[in-house]
Amino acid sequence: MKYSIARYWREKHSYYRLKATKCLKCGKINYPPSKVCRYCGSRELEDLELFGPAKVLTWTIIHTSPIGYEEYRPLIIAMVELLETGVRIITRLTDIDPEEVREGMLVEPVLRRTGEDGEAGIIRYALLFRPLIKGASEIGSNK
Amino acid sequence: MVNILLNPEKETGIIGWGSYIPRYRLPLDEIARIWGFAKETPRGLRTFEKAVASRDEDATTMGWEAAFNALRRAGINPREIGAVWFGTESKPYAVKPSATVIAEALGITPDTMATDLEFACRAASEAMRIAIGAVASKLVKYALVIGSDTAQAEPGDILEFTASSAATAFIIGSSNEAVAVFEASYTYVTDTPDFWRRAYIPYPLHGEGFTGEPAYFHHIVNAVKGLLEKTGLSINDFDYAIFHQPNGSFPLKVARKLGIPKEKVLPGLVTPYIGNSYNASALIGLSKVLDNAKPGDRILLAPFGSGAGSDAYSIVVTDKIIDRRDKAPKVEDYLARKKIIDYGMYAKCRGLIKRIRR
Repeated sequence: MKYSIARYWREKHSYYRLKATKCLKCGKINYPPSKVCRYCGSRELEDLELFGPAKVLTWTIIHTSPIGYEEYRPLIIAMVELLETGVRIITRLTDIDPEEVREGMLVEPVLRRTGEDGEAGIIRYALLFRPLIKGASEIGSNK
Repeated sequence: MVNILLNPEKETGIIGWGSYIPRYRLPLDEIARIWGFAKETPRGLRTFEKAVASRDEDATTMGWEAAFNALRRAGINPREIGAVWFGTESKPYAVKPSATVIAEALGITPDTMATDLEFACRAASEAMRIAIGAVASKLVKYALVIGSDTAQAEPGDILEFTASSAATAFIIGSSNEAVAVFEASYTYVTDTPDFWRRAYIPYPLHGEGFTGEPAYFHHIVNAVKGLLEKTGLSINDFDYAIFHQPNGSFPLKVARKLGIPKEKVLPGLVTPYIGNSYNASALIGLSKVLDNAKPGDRILLAPFGSGAGSDAYSIVVTDKIIDRRDKAPKVEDYLARKKIIDYGMYAKCRGLIKRIRR
């Protein structure tokens, strides 16, 4: 098996809910979550979920993908900025063709299959981002 | 307390509802072209396009989005949900529940029941009846019911025209919080082998014409009759009628048998635009009707599952629906979001092309 089951299980809340940690000393958000603030070194942090809409800052298109990602090609890898916190994360865009991506476009997190460990291994799920669905007046909050 | 047990439905209702339809649509004419069917064949099914889950979607991910939309409308703390029941016949894992993935991803775990149910296209409806009982008995405060399928069909089989992908979800809770209250429900099941899939077999088989009269029509008609006898309601008391939608014509035909005008069926008829989404089929029709219904409307809902069984529900809309319907995307929003694909893309998305998975 290529995937570490223990690691996937341990990190599931980052994959499923964009879990982060917020430093109680300097106030900065650590994503991926860290037990030690990577900005000031404090060990006083609280859990935080970043789940919510974002805007696209920049992106690249990958046509020659790593093994295991052939079926998802072309991969649209984007840096997005979450509207609520300003945190920037690297993610994959889905439900959109490469020529449709625009700087500043609004996107929202959706749970998707992001990989399979061969025919018999575990299926990995994680939040990707896709263009906002028209009609949603209250976007992104299930807290 | 005795009255509650005799008629538990009235203590319960729908707190939140939501659906999901994938972006890709495959025109049925394209299937006819590839497999050499007559152009008239899809016309007889009264279905034009079917929704296709993309390569990064499955029953779990679609169920997650439908449930997320239901949570948005319910406006409750996910931790208050005491049961997650997931009806599907296209589980991504043969053994490992989808319900736990969704419960974890929505912040419902760990104080909850969670399981996947299977009864062809009506497992989610059975889940709804179980949820009514669990909420009425106060075993749980809220139950999350999800119907989600990436329906399989053998390439070239007539079933391929309609087997599609979509999901829907409902949060069941106390009637005093509900956007729609259950008045009554009734279930009719028999052992009828109209459609099945054996272990390790990738696609289901079916009894062709046998899926109609002895299966779909017999069970739905008897479920509805049972509901009417139980409640004393007449068929004219309903403003909407929603039936299982294996194609675009069966629901209209069963409505004619029951004396229901098509004008009461068409608002909840989604299959002509997305195909048969199995466990989401009738229930996504309910979701669409709730998107537009007004307080006081009475809805007849009758899902069906092969094997075979049908449930009939009487549901009355309350004034709470007004404030909640705009809190999540509606079925119409998902219907409008579409990209037409060809058979090759469909084959890739649905795993019909055999590759060596490394």
